[in-house]
Amino acid sequence: MTTTTPPRPVPAGEPARAVRTRNRVLPSPVTGQELVLLAVIAAMWVALYFTTPAFLKPGSLQPLLVSMAPIALIGIGMTVVIITGGIDVSVGGAVMVCSVLTAKTLVSSGVSLLPAVLLSVAVGGVLGLVNGVLIAYGRVHAIIITFGTANLFQFLGLQIFGSSTVNGIPSTFDVFGRGVAGRSFGIPHAFLITIVLAAVAWWYLRHTAGGRHFFAIGGDAQAARLAGVRVQRRILLAYVLTGLLVGLGSCFVIAQGTSTLDQSVGTGYELQVIAAVVIGGTSIMGGRGSVLGTVLGALLVQTVSSGVTQLGWNSNLRDLFVGVFIIIAVGADLLRQRSRRAAA
Amino acid sequence: MSASGVEQSAHHGASPVQPAGGPRLKPADSGATREPLGTRILRALLTQRVVLLAVLIVVVVAVLMIMDANDYLTAPYDPDYMASSLINAVPLAILGLAELVVILSGRGGIDLSVGAIVSLAGMVFGFAYGEWNWPFWLALVVTVVVGGVLGAVNGFLVSYIGFPALITTLATYYAYKSLAVVINNQEPISTEPIQNLFSITRSVELPVIGHDIPNFPLGIFTFLLPTVVVIWLLLARTTYGRRLFAIGTNDVAAQWSGIAVRDTRFKAYTISGLLSGLVAVVTVAQFASARPDAGVTGNGMALPAITIAVLGGVAITGGIGRVSGVVLATLLIVWLNAGILLAFEGNEGSQFQLLALGAVLVFAALLNGLTNRRYGGTR
Repeated sequence: MTTTTPPRPVPAGEPARAVRTRNRVLPSPVTGQELVLLAVIAAMWVALYFTTPAFLKPGSLQPLLVSMAPIALIGIGMTVVIITGGIDVSVGGAVMVCSVLTAKTLVSSGVSLLPAVLLSVAVGGVLGLVNGVLIAYGRVHAIIITFGTANLFQFLGLQIFGSSTVNGIPSTFDVFGRGVAGRSFGIPHAFLITIVLAAVAWWYLRHTAGGRHFFAIGGDAQAARLAGVRVQRRILLAYVLTGLLVGLGSCFVIAQGTSTLDQSVGTGYELQVIAAVVIGGTSIMGGRGSVLGTVLGALLVQTVSSGVTQLGWNSNLRDLFVGVFIIIAVGADLLRQRSRRAAA
Repeated sequence: MSASGVEQSAHHGASPVQPAGGPRLKPADSGATREPLGTRILRALLTQRVVLLAVLIVVVVAVLMIMDANDYLTAPYDPDYMASSLINAVPLAILGLAELVVILSGRGGIDLSVGAIVSLAGMVFGFAYGEWNWPFWLALVVTVVVGGVLGAVNGFLVSYIGFPALITTLATYYAYKSLAVVINNQEPISTEPIQNLFSITRSVELPVIGHDIPNFPLGIFTFLLPTVVVIWLLLARTTYGRRLFAIGTNDVAAQWSGIAVRDTRFKAYTISGLLSGLVAVVTVAQFASARPDAGVTGNGMALPAITIAVLGGVAITGGIGRVSGVVLATLLIVWLNAGILLAFEGNEGSQFQLLALGAVLVFAALLNGLTNRRYGGTR
């Protein structure tokens, strides 16, 4: 029955009571889950290096980093949402709306890079706002609302598509792509942007009062409200943030493809992102999680995917491994929590 | 789980386990206060999901019939068409019931893997019936059992190990989906016996009264009705049903009253798997082929099934939900979708079905929130 006692002590992110105890309240900068993930990724890279010598070369690692970028980027927002105790299963539909709208604008008016990115981010922000308003002020469970808006976004995306594909997308977004234009000093821009934003989010969540309010809400929304946290506004912010990142991530998605975009864009993205977040050690019950873990989770999933391809296995086996990794990651997290509770 | 997670205590008379002194007391003493009829109708609409759904079905069908009478539709929307469109209700309603059982069990219960189980169990059926030529009943039983085993894996992880349901079923969704594709090298199985199975979906004339009413699809009687009756009996007439509602409402209290919480919850996921196995057979018959991606193409089958359950008044927090709600929600969506298909030319219709599903779900969810605040009292 230990598994079913609902009120879990909030391990991290409670607002510090006094400056003096601040260091004690802060969670450790890197969690055990993240270290384990790092070790697993390193082990897989080494193993892949010995089995397929082409791995660990820039030509193989760069595409890997480019493909994991949108998942990790959207994962940053999803981590915040899940920390507050919510979830957003509409990101797949949102990616579709943002990418098709931006791609169509690129084709029809040939706008330059910055306005195109801003357009995509703004559209994503609006979609996130819709989710956020409905969830924070409609007081309905997030999974239900986002299941609903997932359908609505898909409808919107397909309507904007009009025909089955968008063809002849100009190469405006090549700076985020796989090609030479997409990297500086050998590091892909998409990956670099993701890492920088993840670092900012990590700092914000850990070192500012506003960031820690997200943890407080996930731990106990009622207590957070009584402690003076503007719960609804924070929740709204979490979904808007996810929407903005979806907008930016959609630019990466367009950049990864060829010059055409088909109607399957964004399909299944929500599950991939949630998988990355969960493998990264963020608790789906809210109140606990880390952005760094999410980035590592995305990297792990992409490594598995790339490894399966390079070993020449059936590419559909990838999903099997992803499933197994989710189970292992969550299981390890459960075990650690249990032993911590036993020690306390 | 969310900011509004405290709403759990807000029953709206939908639960058969009505705690004494619950909100139900209000209408009982209405003899003394005598509310105006309008208020009472509004209350019934808002607090009783079944009433709301029945009204919505009547409205939708009436609107579509009027559109039909004024020639807005590409084909007649008549009882014959409505009856034949019910074939789409078979998988939807059965999976909706699967989600009902799982969500009822509480603690964030949900099953994202139903679509993947449909794919994998369907491939097993394809092998058993299509390749190895087993008799139909044996292949059916084996498929349902395979579904049950796959569901039991979910149940074991969720209730005995203590994994969160959303994550567990997300993981098994990936795993089962992958196995279903790998098991036959991405090839569908559509041998002679499988193709002949399409006859399950044909429409039949009912005996005695059949001459005067439209022909209904055979699958309704062979698969859907028995399942609905069995699940209804299970939830409303057995100890197991009572226990399920108990653990969904408050599993700590249930534990203290001597209910085997883990065992009960484990069985809920197993039942969901069994039902998915049944849907696998229906789906193979509908496609006349065992397709490895049958349950996971596009949005998959889990999303619509959860939508149906929520629309049918199942509380995502567990412990509240009715079979009748799920069945009526299925009818509403199936008839609405059938009408939308006629209202648009070509591919447009399927896109507007997404709009309708999403809009109805958000509407229903917001209504739940409103009902809870207005009549349930939690703030």
